[in-house]
Amino acid sequence: MAVTWCKHCLNMSTRPRITFDDRGWCNACQWMEEKRTIDWQARERELREILDTYRSQKGGFDCLVPVSGGKDGSYVSHQLKHKYHINPLTVTVTPALSLDLGNQNLKNFINSGYNHIQIDPDPGAMRILNRTGFIEKGFPYYGWLIAIQAAVVRLAVNLNIPLIFYGEDGEVEYGGSTESKYRAMYNVEYMKKIYLEGGYEKVLRESGLDDAQVYFFSFPTDDELNGKELYITHMSYFESWDPYRNYLVAKEHCGLQEATDSNSGTFTNFAQNDQALYALHTYMMYLKFGFGRATQDAGIEIRRGAMTRDQGVNLVRLYDGQYPEEFIGTYLDYYQMTKEEFDAVLDKWVNRELFSKIDGRWSPKFTVS
Amino acid sequence: MLKKRILFTLLYNDGNFMLSRNFRLQKVGNLLWLQKNYNFSQVAFSLDELVILDVTRQDRNSSKFCEHVRSVGKECFIPIAAGGGIHDVDQAIALLRSGADKIVVNSMVANNPDMIAELASVLGRQCVIVSVDVKQIGSELMVFTHDGSQQKTTLSCWLEKIRTLPVGELYLNSIDRDGTGQGFFMKMLECLPNNWNIPVIIAGGAGNYHHLAEGLSDSRVNAVATAHLFNFVGDGLENAREQLLASGIDLVRWNKRSSMELKNVIGTDGKNQEPVAEDHHY
Amino acid sequence: MKQPAITIIDYGMGNICSVINALEYLGSHAVLSDDPDQIRSAPYLILPGVGSFRKAMEALRETGIDTAIRSAACDHRAKILGICLGMQLLGSHSTEDGDTPGLGLVPNRVKLFTSSDLKGNRIPHVGYNSVRFSDHRGLFHGIPDNAFFYFNHSYRMDIDGFTGRSATCTYGIEFLAAFEIDNICGTQFHPEKSQSNGLLLLKNFLEFPC
Repeated sequence: MAVTWCKHCLNMSTRPRITFDDRGWCNACQWMEEKRTIDWQARERELREILDTYRSQKGGFDCLVPVSGGKDGSYVSHQLKHKYHINPLTVTVTPALSLDLGNQNLKNFINSGYNHIQIDPDPGAMRILNRTGFIEKGFPYYGWLIAIQAAVVRLAVNLNIPLIFYGEDGEVEYGGSTESKYRAMYNVEYMKKIYLEGGYEKVLRESGLDDAQVYFFSFPTDDELNGKELYITHMSYFESWDPYRNYLVAKEHCGLQEATDSNSGTFTNFAQNDQALYALHTYMMYLKFGFGRATQDAGIEIRRGAMTRDQGVNLVRLYDGQYPEEFIGTYLDYYQMTKEEFDAVLDKWVNRELFSKIDGRWSPKFTVS
Repeated sequence: MLKKRILFTLLYNDGNFMLSRNFRLQKVGNLLWLQKNYNFSQVAFSLDELVILDVTRQDRNSSKFCEHVRSVGKECFIPIAAGGGIHDVDQAIALLRSGADKIVVNSMVANNPDMIAELASVLGRQCVIVSVDVKQIGSELMVFTHDGSQQKTTLSCWLEKIRTLPVGELYLNSIDRDGTGQGFFMKMLECLPNNWNIPVIIAGGAGNYHHLAEGLSDSRVNAVATAHLFNFVGDGLENAREQLLASGIDLVRWNKRSSMELKNVIGTDGKNQEPVAEDHHY
Repeated sequence: MKQPAITIIDYGMGNICSVINALEYLGSHAVLSDDPDQIRSAPYLILPGVGSFRKAMEALRETGIDTAIRSAACDHRAKILGICLGMQLLGSHSTEDGDTPGLGLVPNRVKLFTSSDLKGNRIPHVGYNSVRFSDHRGLFHGIPDNAFFYFNHSYRMDIDGFTGRSATCTYGIEFLAAFEIDNICGTQFHPEKSQSNGLLLLKNFLEFPC
């Protein structure tokens, strides 16, 4: 299996659902080009119609915006409130092992003027689901990934807020399925298929948790939905998505602070500062597919014109796939695992065609080029 | 013909080198990191000058800074400008004795303009670079001093003031573009008064060689500066310079090999290698 | 053949560090001195300098280094290299701060770049500019024509009537960029800041006899 890289950014051919055109450009880069020609005014009109259609008629909340205190949710909230003058209810599903910086950023965000609900799914249940997801799917925070979809949907149904705004469609923006490129809304089925990579019901069943414990990890049944419709969408459908712009807006208006050092496995310090498991998530991605956080960040920088591909290569070679040394003790404690058990999970998920073990660490057999 | 210049700016913070984004600092690495990933004795061939600024926000240790200037400049035979928190002549001299050729002052224009005259009188005005940090407020370009914390007057007024001071060069930096990789804020140049006659270095926002080209192609600009420690890591500066030269930008083409051949060449019992003239592209 | 140490004149002005670094890189050995006796008897002398011509001459006079330099040059035939202001100090006069006499080892005068000289160029003359050579021997051995060197100055030495080996540069007006007459050499540019071209010139200074 020959591994290739996008000729424009550094996306790898191993990325699920990635495709390349005859120039060797990946779908994320093709989308970047397409974004320059999209009629964004038409999409903005579409957004305004949707807002008019689904906003609260009774002076309540017009939509739900999942946020973490980071740049993307902050940007979406800011835009909806200040540009479109609607009344968003922001919601955070508390992750496990939340970081001080993340907590502070969330506080700063709320204090900049938003209604907010914090959902803490049962941490014990989350721990079991995270652990199971880590072992069975190689997703270290699988429980939380389920909850940020399911709990938000539950909240929307219970509070009668049918419109939910997520930030970006990661598949379209970063090189995955292009199914939703031209579709404003999606539904719960799509959510489960793409964002939970299928099999989430199995994980829930095998967790041994009861219904009460998994309330925030399971989607409403058709009965519970009782004819209520949900309209789930991404802001990136209506506006040309630019993560760096989001960072600037969040910094300027929502009190976003950066970390003092680079984050693990990359050269940025202003994204994903909310939870310790993110570094493990990107490390697992690295072991499975050969690319980590630095590759993602370099792709964003290349596509927004801040650096050339050559420059990105140097940074990826320097920073990608860093073993999250500083968090290992925390992870073992959280998962209640020994180092051997932990390493066994890494060994289970690593792609051995891409990596070989040298001195106890998985080292790439490939060189980014 | 006088060529245009590329300056690389290192932001020093208490023993570490930083990346700045809109004046918020991120630690990148220490001297060892810099040695490993830049190694200026090699990278110097892709540059024209180095600038080393002490942007430490807490108490500065000037002798530690001088030591770092000395280390970075070793075997690096291009001009070095150093600054950050300079407030008297002794400090300036200490930097020059550590290998700097020029000093950079910024807040001194606000705090103590007489000191600028004194520095110029002792060191020569060509040794004094004045750096100006600019942020757009509404439609006005405003000058900020003290690490971007104190708003002063408009850029146009500030430049009129600087015109009366005995300085050698202007380092014009955009706070809004700083570290963004969105390119230089060329609009600042419109504030240069008529007949502005000291060399201008533009800074703030360069992420890749296209941005450097935009700056260098402007007739109002004598030199461009970038402080993007991540984007130009490894062979980044070398590649950028090649691209710029290939597209016709007016820079010197340095020859690394000739310098390396001259190492320890004296006193080698007449077995000196004569540099090959045809290798030089000047 | 081991080179004797090169004496760098330390009179409180000038970027000595870079000159020392360059000489050591070449494999030579440099000593700093502010002692007139040591300077007088040194076989190789480097006179660096940045700043005011008048202040520099005052400093040299006060310490007696000025007579030491003249003696070294004329009586002992020491090989001398003046760099930047150091080169200008070797001249007869400078118009900086009125009219200030220099060391007089070469007859040339030092003048400011006036605006009619500059023809729209900015001042100081700072950066890398190309230098043309009268020949490629001695101090200029092996350096190609139009080689680039680093300049940073607002005053320049006249080329009028100069008879030795010379190098010129144009910045609005043509001026003397470097020279070599017998044992007296000068460079307006900074050889210690001019990458390999500068290193080569320094090597030539040390290796070629007068």
